[in-house]
Amino acid sequence: MTFDNPSLDPECLPALERAPLTPVSRRLAPCQALLRLLHWTFIVVVAWVFPVQHELLAQWQPWLAAGVAGLGIVVIVLGWLEARRRAYGLREHDLIYRRGLLVRRTQVLPLVRLQHVETLSNPVERTFGLVRLACFTAGGRGADLLLEGLSSERAEAVKQHLLARLAAMPDATSPESDTP
Amino acid sequence: MNPVQDVPTERLALSGWQRLSPWAVGLLLISAGATLVRQHMPLLLGAGAGLAMVERVGLRELALGGVLLLLVAGLLSLLYYRRFRFRLDDDVLIVQKGLFEHREFKLAARHVQHIALHQPAYMRPFGLVLWEVETLAGEASSIQLPGIRRELADALGRGLRSTDSATVKGLPADNDSAPSDAEQAVVRYAISPGGLVLHGLTSRSIYVIAAMLSPLIRPLERWIHDRLPQLDLQAWLPESTLLAIVLGVLGLVIVLAFLAVLAAWWRFHGYVLRDDGERQVQVSGLFARQEQALSLSRLQVVEWVQTGLGRLLGRGYLVCHQFGAMGGGGAAESRRFLVPGLTTEQGRALTAVLWPGLSIGQPLARVAVIYRRVVLLRLLLGSSLLLLAALGLVGPGGLAPGAWAAAAATLLVISTGLAQLRWMAVGWALEGAHMRIRQGLWGQRTSHFPQQNLVSVGIQQSWFQRRRGVATLQLDLANGRLSLPYLPERVALTLANRLLASVESGQAA
Repeated sequence: MTFDNPSLDPECLPALERAPLTPVSRRLAPCQALLRLLHWTFIVVVAWVFPVQHELLAQWQPWLAAGVAGLGIVVIVLGWLEARRRAYGLREHDLIYRRGLLVRRTQVLPLVRLQHVETLSNPVERTFGLVRLACFTAGGRGADLLLEGLSSERAEAVKQHLLARLAAMPDATSPESDTP
Repeated sequence: MNPVQDVPTERLALSGWQRLSPWAVGLLLISAGATLVRQHMPLLLGAGAGLAMVERVGLRELALGGVLLLLVAGLLSLLYYRRFRFRLDDDVLIVQKGLFEHREFKLAARHVQHIALHQPAYMRPFGLVLWEVETLAGEASSIQLPGIRRELADALGRGLRSTDSATVKGLPADNDSAPSDAEQAVVRYAISPGGLVLHGLTSRSIYVIAAMLSPLIRPLERWIHDRLPQLDLQAWLPESTLLAIVLGVLGLVIVLAFLAVLAAWWRFHGYVLRDDGERQVQVSGLFARQEQALSLSRLQVVEWVQTGLGRLLGRGYLVCHQFGAMGGGGAAESRRFLVPGLTTEQGRALTAVLWPGLSIGQPLARVAVIYRRVVLLRLLLGSSLLLLAALGLVGPGGLAPGAWAAAAATLLVISTGLAQLRWMAVGWALEGAHMRIRQGLWGQRTSHFPQQNLVSVGIQQSWFQRRRGVATLQLDLANGRLSLPYLPERVALTLANRLLASVESGQAA
């Protein structure tokens, strides 16, 4: 039996930075904004109506609530901008997901590591016709890659593609070292 | 008995339903009862609650209730014994159990990643062991047979292993030699008493024990406060308060070190690591003996760990990680496949055995120098907040201006030293098909893993990092995430592309 071990030229490897990415649905930004609005409204109401015994604090309570509301608005606006910049890419051997505004993170999940795929959606996401796609690998305690902001049709197509790839692999559940 | 010839016979015997040992059920009942009593002891005895209950209910009624409870427990145990059964159906282990909810587990041999045998002291006279098997899903998915005969456990292990290796190597299952007998195995490492003591001193047990004993501080403090004036200790306590504090801390450290050494003896007494070809088997334990078998084909990451004291004394230990062994800290780490009390040379030699073909020769490349500056800035920010807090507590007049300046200078020097140590500790190297990553500060952890064992890759860049042209490379492995912070952007991307190519081409091949 012959064994080849040719050297790889790093310049010839498929470049992650040049992989074309598809923006997620434009409906993600309003959906996230609405979810955050509900969340921050609750916090602002608590900050406003929470019974305070101290007189000075009670005087400042509306201003404190206004400050929290201001912070909430900043978070919602940043979240909106961030959601508009999210993108994903599906290559033959891996799945790429880029997110983040100030701190940008690109995550790549090789498809050979995939164990199973799930789609999730809460009532607000369903209103906007959005679905989350959770990808799990072996031994993980949660989703290793959570793709947010896919339309239902696109999520189903990506899921079917991933499942087809999973089925085509000899033993997708086993780690690489199953082969001696 | 020759296991080579008897594997098919064993398999035939295991294909019928097997049960737990009746002794095991009795022992489980006793140990569960003892745990229940121990957990509810404060409730029963605390503040005379138990006595009050006896007076209210009556001693005879209480005894009758106890007998009734025992009867119910006995009946439930009998039911548990009848429900709990297992068998090996070709290469699938089937376990049925459950008192009120019937559950059936099916585990194919090819999904087994780890088999362990535990033998607590109270099971030893009966020749029983606690058998545990873990799947690729990790620790959370383990299945236990809580009390079977040793021979049955060995046969079960051989049965699962022979089909597994047949699957891996493409051999017919009946042809498998299952090299499990100790005669064929080579002893790779056996710990010496000195090594055991040094492991106790240099492992993380000392911190784990300190954390476990921390709830005792308040009662101890109360006891000292109440009893110290009556004991007339002034005669032998040093007059200097500072000296007394130093001696007190020293005494505490000595006690903790002693307990850590005891813990090392308890867990690793008689430690032997045998090389059984594709498997590494370790046996250890003073009272509770345990045997763990690590399949090299399931190994994902080997970690060389040295605490600060360990680096001074030239000692460390190896932790072998498989899938699903994430987090849990020092206590969880000790449950994993751990080779204790190694010198640096022994650690290197064993790593080469675990990863055949690995040569640790490449010098570690450091991350960008800017990382040191970032760490320094973070530490300085923390130090400034500390100083401000102190200023708020004692006021500007609380200390002389010189003392404030000295404190600031000391914090600056410490921060600079820590930033330098942190930067020097982080490093990486590509060793052929393997990768080596070191992290830490004073104590260090070095991970060795084949590049194709990577689970996923992430590249993170903050706004500041983008301006400076650096990036943080995050590598997700079977045992969690490793980060290489502040790599030059080009290097991070090249590394990511190369690692992805290794994973994807490795699988395609």
